[in-house]
Amino acid sequence: MSALILLLVPLLGALAQSALGRARLAVHLVTAGLTAAAAAGLVVAVARDGVVTTLFGLLRADALSAWMVALIALVAGVAALEAAREARAHGGPGDRRFFALFHLFVFTMLAAVTTDDVGVMWVAIEGTTLASVFLVNAERTRESLEASYKYLLICSVGIALAFVGTVLLYCGDVDAMGAAEHALRWTSLREIAPTLPPRLVHVAFVFLLVGYGTKAGLAPMHTWLPDAHSEAPAPVSALMSGVLLSVGLYAVLRFKAIVDLVPGPDFSSRLLVALGLASLTIAALFLWASGNFKRMLAYSSIEHVGLVSLGLGFGGPWGVAGALLHVANHALAKATLFVLAGRIRAAYGSAEIARVRGLRAAMPLTSRGFLAAMLALMGLPPFGLFVSELMIFRAGIEAGYVAVSVIAVTLVVIAFGGLLRSLHHMVNGEAPAAVHETSTWASIAPAALALGLLVLTGVAWPPGLAASLDRIVAVVAR
Amino acid sequence: MSAVANLLAFLGLLAALLTVWRQSHQGRLRLLVAQALLLAVMAAAIAVLSGHRSLLGVAVACAIIKAVVIPRALGRMAVGSPPRPVAPGRSVGGALLIAGALVVVSYVIMLPVTQVTTLPTAGALPLAFAVALIGLFVCVTGRDAFTHVLGFLVFENGVFGLALLGAYGLPLLVEVGVFLDVLVIVLIMEGMVVEIRREHASIDVDRLRELRG
Repeated sequence: MSALILLLVPLLGALAQSALGRARLAVHLVTAGLTAAAAAGLVVAVARDGVVTTLFGLLRADALSAWMVALIALVAGVAALEAAREARAHGGPGDRRFFALFHLFVFTMLAAVTTDDVGVMWVAIEGTTLASVFLVNAERTRESLEASYKYLLICSVGIALAFVGTVLLYCGDVDAMGAAEHALRWTSLREIAPTLPPRLVHVAFVFLLVGYGTKAGLAPMHTWLPDAHSEAPAPVSALMSGVLLSVGLYAVLRFKAIVDLVPGPDFSSRLLVALGLASLTIAALFLWASGNFKRMLAYSSIEHVGLVSLGLGFGGPWGVAGALLHVANHALAKATLFVLAGRIRAAYGSAEIARVRGLRAAMPLTSRGFLAAMLALMGLPPFGLFVSELMIFRAGIEAGYVAVSVIAVTLVVIAFGGLLRSLHHMVNGEAPAAVHETSTWASIAPAALALGLLVLTGVAWPPGLAASLDRIVAVVAR
Repeated sequence: MSAVANLLAFLGLLAALLTVWRQSHQGRLRLLVAQALLLAVMAAAIAVLSGHRSLLGVAVACAIIKAVVIPRALGRMAVGSPPRPVAPGRSVGGALLIAGALVVVSYVIMLPVTQVTTLPTAGALPLAFAVALIGLFVCVTGRDAFTHVLGFLVFENGVFGLALLGAYGLPLLVEVGVFLDVLVIVLIMEGMVVEIRREHASIDVDRLRELRG
């Protein structure tokens, strides 16, 4: 029941935007609040019962789903507050279509992580592209139009490849269990996986990994990502980078859990490690060459997606738990950064790093949040990304990927240098006289909350965190 | 049954190869319609021969959406943009050669699948997959929005054929989702092409070069 409510809230909220024109800002905020409450309800229900199912098993939330639901709701809350702030700053009640699509976008992501049917999951993930493509083009400039065109085309082709994989898996599956309505259920596939023909499953997984990897922004399928993330308005970038990429990785993890049960060599891990290294390499190189700070944040997303892919590839309890914790840490840090980057861009009138100087003097409050979140993103203690990166590398060494781990650490250090250089340029120096602080203590509160959570995951795990990660590891265990 | 499936899948592949060869927008559009109709016939034939009656509905939906609604939208995209002549030094022959090679590749990739499936239609799977690969090739090498979308649709047709031949279609809920999905993609693309044309006075993608690095 709680899963159904969770999906209905944002969907009805999106519909209400077109019905109730006057109060659109209020409807937007109420929808965001109710979505967060419904997500909390689902997380509590899963913690209590282990697994929650509704609609004849079509919707099913286990510990992994609950983890993703919590993240999506958290980032969506931060993004929704920022969208409302931006709308107020422009003096109008905001664009109705923007708010409607915003909640539709959240709905599709929530649907993707709470359905048990991998076919429906495919439809939902494709739906994330369709709902967000107009959001990328919300500012209606030449650049944003081009970015959204690239985004729609590349992600549609990518996701269609994932569809090929799903169909191939279904072909093998239909032979085993007949064309039943539940033949594409993840739980059924897990049950019959040991009897599926290994080579067919491997071919299917290649398509699934390339397809969902495109949505996740794994190199070399990442080319849409820097454009879309840098051209979208700040709240949308926060959602895309913070959780949309992770939804792609979530799909990969679900299928990896099926492939791992098939006899034969450890096929999926090696592919994930290879794509992870490719992503880290691309990101480390481009982080030294970025001229635009939103693009810099986008390339850093590719870096972190690569790290998560490595964690999933290394496998084992440390790898999976580290990867999932890293997904959460990255979501918190990156959502904060994109929100603050949007304010910096508005204040300086440019997203070029060369044009942004003296942030510390000109925008003291924003600059403090931006600096702290950047340090967190670079993986420095006491923030959580430090811990999750350590977990991932520990998994790598335990699994015998010593050389890969050493290369990956080196690439992370190179990326660190690139980020630090840009950060130094932005924060220090002399500010233009026209730039003024736009953040208030109230409007920086969500960012402060996210940073506080990052310190918690870095220093003192709140009760229940270790247990949730354990349960997730058990869900996808071999 | 397998003879019918092989024939229809082969004709579909022929339509895909001709799409590579033809250059005029109208000609390519007609080939896309022909391919969609072949798919509808294939769905209907499998429905009758195998007794999966629900596939008749899929056949009707395929004929309406893929052979009428989508080509119309695509036709509106093509209005006012002359087809790009093949660049000097690059002949259609080369593209056709690659498309031919993709058919061979398709047989290799599909080998583990055809070996294990027991359905009588499985022999035609590589043909359908070759359609998908050729569509992908047209999409990736396309220089304007029309060709991108056309290639994507050929690709989609190939995957649809794959699902028909390999599993007699997907569960109904997924099938409906996929139809809606393709339709929405094409409609959004149409809207974007209108906007791109207003901004750049062309749908030539070479002009989209603002974002680099």
